[in-house]
Amino acid sequence: MSEACFHCGDEIVGRPIVYDEKLFCCNGCSMVFQLLSENNLDSFYTIEQGAGVKPKNANTHKYAFLDVPEIRQKYVTFEDENSLHLTLFLPTIHCSSCIYLLENIQKIEPNVSSCNVNFVQKTAAIILKKEASLSEFALLLDRIGYAPNFGDKKALEKKRNYQFLYKLGVAGFAFGSIMLWTFPEYLGIEDDNPEIQSFTAYLSLAVSIPVLLYSASDYLKSAYKALRFRSLNLDVPISVGILALYAQSVYTILSGQGTGYMDSFAGFVFFLLIGKWFQSKTYESLSFERDYTAYFPVAVTRINEEIEEIVEIDKISIGDLIKLRNEEIIPCDALLTSDTVSIDYSFVTGESEPIRLHKGDFIYAGGKIVGKPAIVRAENESNRSQLTRIWNESGESATEEKSDRLSVYFLSGVLILAAASAIIWYFLDLHRIVEIVVAVLIVACPCALALSKPFTYGNITRILGRKGLFLKNAEVIEQLNQTTDIVFDKTGTLTSNKDREVQYDGAPLTDSQKLAISSITNASSHPLSRAITLQLQKEGIQPESIEEFEEVSGNGIKGAYEEKQIQLGKASFVGAISHSNETEVHVKIEDDYLGKFRIESAFRTDIFKVLETLGSEKEIHVLSGDSEKDKTKIASAVPNIKELHFGQTPEDKKEYIHLLQNKGRKVLMIGDGLNDAGALKKADVGIAISEDIFRFTPGSNAIIDADSLAILPQLLNTSKFSRTILGICYVFSILYNIVGLTFAISGELTPLIAAILMPISSITIVFISTVLAYLKAN
Amino acid sequence: MGIIYLMLIVSLIIALIFLFSFFWAAKSGQYDDDYSPSVRILFDDEKQSTENQQTDGSTEV
Repeated sequence: MSEACFHCGDEIVGRPIVYDEKLFCCNGCSMVFQLLSENNLDSFYTIEQGAGVKPKNANTHKYAFLDVPEIRQKYVTFEDENSLHLTLFLPTIHCSSCIYLLENIQKIEPNVSSCNVNFVQKTAAIILKKEASLSEFALLLDRIGYAPNFGDKKALEKKRNYQFLYKLGVAGFAFGSIMLWTFPEYLGIEDDNPEIQSFTAYLSLAVSIPVLLYSASDYLKSAYKALRFRSLNLDVPISVGILALYAQSVYTILSGQGTGYMDSFAGFVFFLLIGKWFQSKTYESLSFERDYTAYFPVAVTRINEEIEEIVEIDKISIGDLIKLRNEEIIPCDALLTSDTVSIDYSFVTGESEPIRLHKGDFIYAGGKIVGKPAIVRAENESNRSQLTRIWNESGESATEEKSDRLSVYFLSGVLILAAASAIIWYFLDLHRIVEIVVAVLIVACPCALALSKPFTYGNITRILGRKGLFLKNAEVIEQLNQTTDIVFDKTGTLTSNKDREVQYDGAPLTDSQKLAISSITNASSHPLSRAITLQLQKEGIQPESIEEFEEVSGNGIKGAYEEKQIQLGKASFVGAISHSNETEVHVKIEDDYLGKFRIESAFRTDIFKVLETLGSEKEIHVLSGDSEKDKTKIASAVPNIKELHFGQTPEDKKEYIHLLQNKGRKVLMIGDGLNDAGALKKADVGIAISEDIFRFTPGSNAIIDADSLAILPQLLNTSKFSRTILGICYVFSILYNIVGLTFAISGELTPLIAAILMPISSITIVFISTVLAYLKAN
Repeated sequence: MGIIYLMLIVSLIIALIFLFSFFWAAKSGQYDDDYSPSVRILFDDEKQSTENQQTDGSTEV
């Protein structure tokens, strides 16, 4: 019964569109299929099933700004007589079929010379022939489902940083080489050839210099900065360890006493960098820094003395007349000068239904025009709008630089031990004091201890990422484990924008009326129409084809079925009156008003169970911008909920979190989209929920895939498990340190013992941390 | 024992060659995208096979 669309793989709701014996969910999908099959790109469908992206109706002017020379120049990286090169950010790239299609796009658009996809960064490097029109090419990409994102220039400008790979390479090279040269020492045969030994010692010294100055430079710099501001971070003990190890080794080599611990030194730096690399690998393709500007247009149409011209957004000044077409975003607060307009404010308020404004009304930035084009007068410049204010207010980071208590204890412990052994040896043998103190510092070098954290957090980050929770950085794990309160947003978080509940109010419908309605709604791809079709289908109504159909954008649909005129849509569209704030679709057949469908977003499956599980450990708060209609439903389904507030504005939510924090609570906020942006930033940890993690990632600490919300307790549990792993690692590394220190303080620490003890301790920690994390994950 | 010194130097040089080829590989973007190339190599085969089919078809006609 539920067939999947041949192009996009989505379940087909209602009557499928049949083309070439294949079933499609909408016209858009079948159009893309036609385009691809006409151009011999059918392989797109054999590489992966249902891999297509459902195209949206793009208006033909959408990319007109690309033909304005100044703007075009910004995106074109290179241009000569025959060709122009540019790199486009295409966020919908998601599978191997996408690569195939985009790299063969010249079959559709002969003006493309080459297209090279970078899957990880979701970009395509494109070479176009000179005569190609950028705007037409962008429109083609949009039509086949790969709408280029021009708002987010940062993503393109971000030059890949190879420094890190170089550092890792240098450390690895030094580690391997020095181990090879130190090999005789591992076997205890170093004394046979003192010349060779000193030769390899100097080689090690030479090779280790770039490791200290280049590979380890980030740690040393960070420690130096911390000390200068009289604070401590984890890099301080690491740097002390690195420097003590290095200084001792240099001294040993220069004084001709042996090869020192250069192998341990290089290995330590190498493992540290690998731990870091582990952490960075998971979220390479996610961008957490994208903000509202990514949704703002690059250029708008300005009406200057009756002439329409496309100008860059920065050039808009107060009083300018701007023309906005369907689907375009309002770039600045403005006054409406055309008669009426429908605006979708879902970015700002989370409310998916467009609102209707009249001439002279004030329009806030961030809304999206639906339907008829509108002319507005700018009331301020685009960077001072309400949205910007919400974002800027919450700019201050929630986490302050906290001095790492552990490293303070550790450092003081090591210093006390070193002092103690100095005092002991003062009485035993005055000449050996320096040697002993340095040995203590080296063995106490927190190699294993310092590796525990990056490796454990790196592994946990990867595991969480695989399960749909993407963390911005490893510190988020620590903050997650400390949270005492979880604040949920309702719309879009507890409820899903995909699933809707449809209820009918009004004169009872006969089956033939239902059939008529479902046949009309089936012709429309609007989400509300789909919801109604689906609902009627559940009641056993199969839509049929219709004679006449028209979609009035932003208002409703009308059509004829068996010679009856049917209208569905807004109250005003069918001539009814409604004062409700709910999402409604009113029905009129011929001249009779029948009633309305109320459409509510449905709660996610199992969401109440999730809240209840979480509620047993933490305090749960639910904040909603909606009216109180779901209050009893939530309260009765989740008995252990702490607080439940309705009618909250984005500022209220932020203030609420602020109050909790003032009471000393650690707050985890889970919300969606831009309307919760301020609250997400305010909270100790803000998790943005997203139906498509690659498309919508506001400035939060983490992103959770909407489907993974059901396993949130499990995810938090995994994150918490990092504490156990760390504990075990700490026990091991402290054991190693105790053994090492015993040798060092008693003056028995031979290079052989140190050479074996130190790398082995690091490797065990790496091993333990990785194995435990993966055991937990499975 | 002189040969040992030579071997040590040679081993260092070889290691350096690999280090610099790693730099070169990183700089030329070979680590930028570890997914697309693995897929792309399969496309080329397919393109050829469709071309073959076409030429086969034309000879039959």
